[in-house]
Amino acid sequence: MDARRKKVRALGGLVAGVVLVTVGALLGSRAVAADDVKIDSDTFGNLSARAIGPAVMGGRIAAIDAYAGEKLTVYVGAASGGVWKSENSGLTFKHVFDDYIQSIGAVRIDPSQPKTVWVGTGESWTRNSVSVGAGVYKTTDGGDNWQLMGLADTEHIGRIVVNPKDGNIVYVCALGHLWNSNAERGVFRTKDGGKTWKKVLYVNDDTGCADLAADAQNPDLLYAGMWQVRRYPYKFISGGPGSGLFRSTDGGETWKPIRKGLPEGDLGRIGISAAPSRPSTVYAVVEAKETALYRSDDLGENWTKMNTSFNVQGRPFYFAYVVADPNDFERVYKPGYGLTVSDDGGKTFSGIGGSYHGDLHALWINPKDSYQMLLGTDGGVYFSSDRGSHWRMLAALPVSQFYHVTYDMQDPYNVYGGLQDNGSWMGPSRYTDGIPNRAWRNIGFGDGFAAQVDQADPDYVYVEFQGGHVTRYRLSNGESKNIRPFAKPGEAELRFNWNTPLLTRPGRTGSLYIGSQYLYRSTDRGDSWTRISPDLTTNNPEEQKQEESGGLTRDNTDAEKHCTIITISESPKNANVIWVGTDDGNIQVTRDGGKNWTNVTRNLPGIPAETWVSTVEAGHFEEGTAYASLEGHQTGDMKTYLVRTGDYGKTWDELATPEMTGYAQVIREDLVNPNLLFAGTELGLYISLDRGKTWAKFTGGLPKDVPIRDLAIHPREGDLIMATHGRGIYILDDLSTLRALTPEVLNKDFAVLPSRAAIESLAMFEQRADGDGEFTGDTEKPTARIAYYLKKRLLVGEFKAAVYDAKGTLVENLSTSRRKGINVVDWGMRMKPPKTPPGNQVFPDPYSIFGPYLPEGTYTVKITHGTETATAEVHVVADPRGKHSAADRAEQFKTVSEAYNLVEHIAYVADAAKDLSVQAVDRSGKLGPDDPLRKSLQTLRDNISATQQKLAASHEGGYSGEIELREKILEVYGGINGYTGKPTESQTAQLAALRKELDGLESDFHSYTEKALAAANPELDKKKLPTLKLLSEENWRKKAEEKGSGGLLVDEDQGGNALQVIYFLHVR
Amino acid sequence: MLKKVALSLAAAAVFALPAAAQTVDEIIAKSIEARGGEAKLRAVNSLRFTGKGEFGPGLLIPITLQLKRPGMMRMEFTAQGMTGIQAYDGKDGWDVMPFQGKKDAEPMAQDDVKEMQDQADFDGPLMDYKAKGNTVEYLGKEKVEGSDAYKLKVTRKNGNVETSFIDVDTGLEVKSITKTKMHGNDVEIEAIYSDFRTVEGLIFPYSIENGSVGSTQKQKITLDKVEVNPELADAQFHMPPPAPPADAAKPAEKPGSDRR
Repeated sequence: MDARRKKVRALGGLVAGVVLVTVGALLGSRAVAADDVKIDSDTFGNLSARAIGPAVMGGRIAAIDAYAGEKLTVYVGAASGGVWKSENSGLTFKHVFDDYIQSIGAVRIDPSQPKTVWVGTGESWTRNSVSVGAGVYKTTDGGDNWQLMGLADTEHIGRIVVNPKDGNIVYVCALGHLWNSNAERGVFRTKDGGKTWKKVLYVNDDTGCADLAADAQNPDLLYAGMWQVRRYPYKFISGGPGSGLFRSTDGGETWKPIRKGLPEGDLGRIGISAAPSRPSTVYAVVEAKETALYRSDDLGENWTKMNTSFNVQGRPFYFAYVVADPNDFERVYKPGYGLTVSDDGGKTFSGIGGSYHGDLHALWINPKDSYQMLLGTDGGVYFSSDRGSHWRMLAALPVSQFYHVTYDMQDPYNVYGGLQDNGSWMGPSRYTDGIPNRAWRNIGFGDGFAAQVDQADPDYVYVEFQGGHVTRYRLSNGESKNIRPFAKPGEAELRFNWNTPLLTRPGRTGSLYIGSQYLYRSTDRGDSWTRISPDLTTNNPEEQKQEESGGLTRDNTDAEKHCTIITISESPKNANVIWVGTDDGNIQVTRDGGKNWTNVTRNLPGIPAETWVSTVEAGHFEEGTAYASLEGHQTGDMKTYLVRTGDYGKTWDELATPEMTGYAQVIREDLVNPNLLFAGTELGLYISLDRGKTWAKFTGGLPKDVPIRDLAIHPREGDLIMATHGRGIYILDDLSTLRALTPEVLNKDFAVLPSRAAIESLAMFEQRADGDGEFTGDTEKPTARIAYYLKKRLLVGEFKAAVYDAKGTLVENLSTSRRKGINVVDWGMRMKPPKTPPGNQVFPDPYSIFGPYLPEGTYTVKITHGTETATAEVHVVADPRGKHSAADRAEQFKTVSEAYNLVEHIAYVADAAKDLSVQAVDRSGKLGPDDPLRKSLQTLRDNISATQQKLAASHEGGYSGEIELREKILEVYGGINGYTGKPTESQTAQLAALRKELDGLESDFHSYTEKALAAANPELDKKKLPTLKLLSEENWRKKAEEKGSGGLLVDEDQGGNALQVIYFLHVR
Repeated sequence: MLKKVALSLAAAAVFALPAAAQTVDEIIAKSIEARGGEAKLRAVNSLRFTGKGEFGPGLLIPITLQLKRPGMMRMEFTAQGMTGIQAYDGKDGWDVMPFQGKKDAEPMAQDDVKEMQDQADFDGPLMDYKAKGNTVEYLGKEKVEGSDAYKLKVTRKNGNVETSFIDVDTGLEVKSITKTKMHGNDVEIEAIYSDFRTVEGLIFPYSIENGSVGSTQKQKITLDKVEVNPELADAQFHMPPPAPPADAAKPAEKPGSDRR
C-alpha cells in the first residue's frame, strides 16, 4: 500500500483534531409558566464526556478469571475500574460493567457454564485508598446483562467459588465493612443460583472472609481464611482472635477451625490454594507473628511451615495470596511485591524474571497449558506464554487510578496528574484522530498525586510521590530536583499526607504552596519555602500513631500519616485569602496571606467532627465564598457532604441532597456561571445548575458510578476535566451549553443553547498501524456544535435544523437529535463533497473526497420545532495555531473553490459525454443494420470514448498507475484543500494548466459533438427517432442534486477504534 | 461499515410480532400497532429507502436500500462518483466495490451472507419467530435516551442475537443491539432510531445513529424518502455477470494511449 493510501486510511484523523464551536444566540420559544423543572440525568441529554485514557500504564487489578475454550476468554476485575472482558487472550477488551459500581473484588466464571459469570464488588486488597462495593452480581450471557444477586452490605468481597458440577451452588467470601463493624460478612452460600443466601460461616462483626478455596475433585470440601481487620483514618490493624483457617467437608454446611501445625497466637490474613493436580495438597500463606507459607498434604488436617522468604512474608494485608500450578502440585507461585515461585512444594522460592509492574493481586494459570499466565498488578494486567519469564502488558485497559488533574495553557492543552502506584503523567487533551498511549509522558515516580504545571513557565512541572516528596520536573531536559521542605530546628517533625496538597499559583512564575501540618509557600520554584501558618490540624497525638499501624505486621508507610493538610485553595479574587482543609476535619482560612488563621470548622452544620475535608475551593466570584467537600468513609460514614460559605466561613450551607451517593471527593465552582457547580463523589459526577440547591448525576459517556477524585475547568476552552480513580481522565468539552441552562431555559419546551466558537481545525494525520492491542483515547470531533434544549423527547413531529450563511443562503440541512434535555448536533463546516467523475478508484488523498471548509464568519442555524423557529449563531473561526493571515485564508478559499469547481466541471463533462454515448447506442439500436447513420453514430461514440479515456483513469487494478485529467485535478484539489493557508505557486499554476487542459478537451468534445449532431439529428428526425441532445450543465446539476453527490468512505473497523471516515476498503 | 449501515436500515425498516410470555405478547402487539398494524405490515412487499450517511464532518454519502420479499435486499452508496453495491437475492450474497480498482461483482463470504440474511428477514426476527426458530425473552425495562423502553432479547435460529428496545409510551423501537458472528467472533452494533414519520400508514425512523457497542464513534444516517411497495425488479438482486469494459461503445484500445 503506497504512502498516500496510508494517508487516506489515516483519515480517521479527520475526526479528531481540535474543534471548537460556537453558537451564539439563545432563543427560546413559548416560555411555559410552570413549576421549575427538576433536573435529572436526562436533562444533560446527549452531552457526553470522552475518555482520553491513558492506558500506557494500568491501574490496580484485584481479580482475573479466564476460560480456556476454543478461544481464551478473559474477565478482569479492576480495583476501581469495573469489569472488562476479552475474547482474544487479552488483546482487546470491552467494559461490561459500566452500569454498576466500579470497585471489583472477585470475578468467577462458572466452570460448567462459561457464559455465567459472578462478580463480587468491593475490592478486598484493603489499602488506604480502597473503594467500596455494593454486593454480588451475576450474568448468564457473558456480560451483556447483569443482575444484583444480593449481599449488598458486604462492602468488600474477596473471592467467589462456584461448584463445578452444579452452577447453582455458589460461595461468596465477604470481608464485610472495613472501617466499622457489620453483620453481613463471612462465607455465604446459595444453592439456587443466587436467589437466596445463607451465611454459613461467620465469626463476628469484626471478622470477615479474605480467601476461600475448594478442593478440585470434591467441591464440598472448602477452606476459608477468616480475617479480623479494621482500618482507621490513621492506622489499620490486621489480625486478632477472630482470624483463622476453617474447613468444611459438607459443602459449607458446617465448618471447623483447623490449627494443627499453624502458629500459636493471633493470626491475620490468610491466603489459600488447594492444588488442583493433587487435592490432598493445600497451601496457605498465613499472617502471624512470623508470617509463613504452610502446606498440608492431608486435606488441611495438618500443616507444616515451609517458607518465610521476603516475598512470602511481605505485606499480608495486601499480598496474602498463593497460587498452586493447576498441573503440578509441587509448583507454587507467590504473588507479592514481585512474583516468586517454588518448584519444590514451597520449600524454596526464587524470583521470576521479566518486566512487569510490582504489587501482585491476581494470577491465573491456564489449566490446559501452565505456560500461559495472566498476572494482575497495581499497574494493570500482563500476559506470559513462558511461565512468567517474560510478560506482555495488556495495553488496552484504561483503568488508571488518578488522584488529581490539572492542565496547562498550550494549544491543545495538556493534562497532568498523579496515579496510585503509577507515578505522574502528562498527555494531550486532543490529538489527531485519537489519543494513543504513546502520546503520554511519564513525569514522576511512585504513587503520584498532584502534578501542577507552572502556568507562566510551562517548562516546570511540580510532581510528588507519597508523603510530600515533591520534585520540580523540567520538561525540556527531564531533570528533576527534590524540593521538599524540611522541619527547621525546634519545629515538630513535618507530617505530609499520603496525598499531599500541592498548588501552583496562576500567573505567578515559580510560586506554589505545599501543606504538611503547616502551609508553606515558595516564590522561587521551591528553592526556598516560607512557612505561612501554625499547625492547622488538630495535632491529636492519638491520631499520629502510624508507627503502630499494621497490626500483626507493622506497616508504616505514609499511607496512614494523619493530622495533615490535604487541600489548599487561594482566592482568585484576593491572593491573601487562602483556605486549607485537613484530614482531621479542620477548615482554616487566612485573609492576610497567612499571618492570621481562623479555624471555621465548628461552624460546619451537622457534619461529624474530624470528617476529612477532601477539597476546599475558594469562590471565583466573591472573596468570602468558598466550597468544601467532606467525607468520612474512613469511619464508616458514607454520606455525601458538600458545603458553601459566603462569609469567610462564619456560616455554611449544606449543599448535598439525599439523592446523592458516594462520599464526596471534590467540589468545583464554574469559572463563568456561579450557579453551575460540579461535585465528584466515590460514585460519580454530579452537576448543579442552581448553586447547589438541586443536583443531578451526569452519566454521559461515563461509567455510571465512576469514582471522581478531582475536577478542573480549563479557563480558555471551558472544558471540564475529570480525574477518575480507576478509569483515567475524562473531558467534557465546552461547558457553554451547561452554563446557559438556566431555570428559565429549563422551563421552556424548546430553547437554543450556545456553544463556543467553532474552529476549522488544522488537519493532522499520522501514518500508523498500531494494531488493536492499545487503548486509544477519544479526541474532540472537528465539527461545530449546535446545541438546544428539549423539555420532552420528540419521537414524532417536525424538527429541523438548517445552516445559512451571512447572505442567507442555505448551506446544509442538519440531521437533528431529538432527545429530552440537551441535544448537541455536529456540523462539519464544509461544503458538500465535490461531484466527481467516476474513475478506476477513489483518489487516494482524503482531502480530495471532502468538500472545502466554508469561509470563517457567522452562520445562522434555523431550528424549526413544529411551527416555531429559533435561530442560533455559529461563529466559525480559523484554527489559531495555523497563524495564517486573513488574506492567505481568503486566497486559500478562493483557490480551493476554483479547484472544487473544476472537479465538478470535469464531472459534468464526463457525464455529458457518457450521456451522449448512451443516446448514440440507443439510436443505433433502433436503426436498420445497414443504415449509414449507424456508422456516423459509431464515429461519434469512438470520439467520445477517446475523450473519456483522457478524462479519467479506467484501467482496473489497485496499482494501474494510470493518471488522467480527473486524477490530476483531484490531486491538486486535495492538496489545496488539505492546507488552511495560502496555496503554493505550483498548485495555483497547475490548477490553471489543468483548467486549460480541460477547456481544450471540452472544446474538442463540443466541436466534434456539434458536427455529429448537426449531421445526425436531421436524419434521426426524418426517421421519427428522438434527436441527440447534449446534456447541459444546468440540467446535469439538477439531476446530480437529486441523486446526491458522493464523497466516500467507510471504516474498516469492527471493534471501535477511532473510525468514522476512512477509505472504502473492501475487506474480505 | 456499509454492512452496518445496511443492518441498521434494515433493522429499522422491519418490525416484529408475536412472542412467548404474556408480557412479550403485549409488548409486541403494542409495537405492531405503533408501526401501523399487522395487516399493513404484511401487505408490504417491497421497500426503498433513500438517504445519506454522514461518515465524517460534512462527508455525506448517498445511500439507497431496497428490500423485497422474500428476503432480497440491495444497498448502494456512492463515493467520488463511484457506486458500491451489496446485495442478496435470498440465496447468494454479492457485492461491487469499485473504490480500489475492481468493478465486477464478487460473491460474498458466508459470514457476510449470514448477516445479509438477517437483514433481509423482511418482517424482522420477532414476527413469526417460532416458525423461524427464533426465541424471544423479555428482560425488563431500561432507559433509552431518558425514556423507558421494554428490552427484548431475540436469539435467531442462526445464533445471532438482537436486543430490541421498544418505547413504553409509543411502542416504537427506539434502539437495537445486534450481535452477529464474523469469522467466529462477536460483532455488536448499536443503533438508535428517531424522527419517526408515517408513510402510507406505516411508521419509519428517518434518523438512525449507529456504531459499535462501547464505541463513542457513531455514524448517522438520515433518510430523505421511504417508498412502500415500489416496483423492484428481481434481477437487480441477482449477481450480475462481469461488466463489459467501461463503456459499451469503447473501441479497440490504441496502444499506449492510456498510460503516462
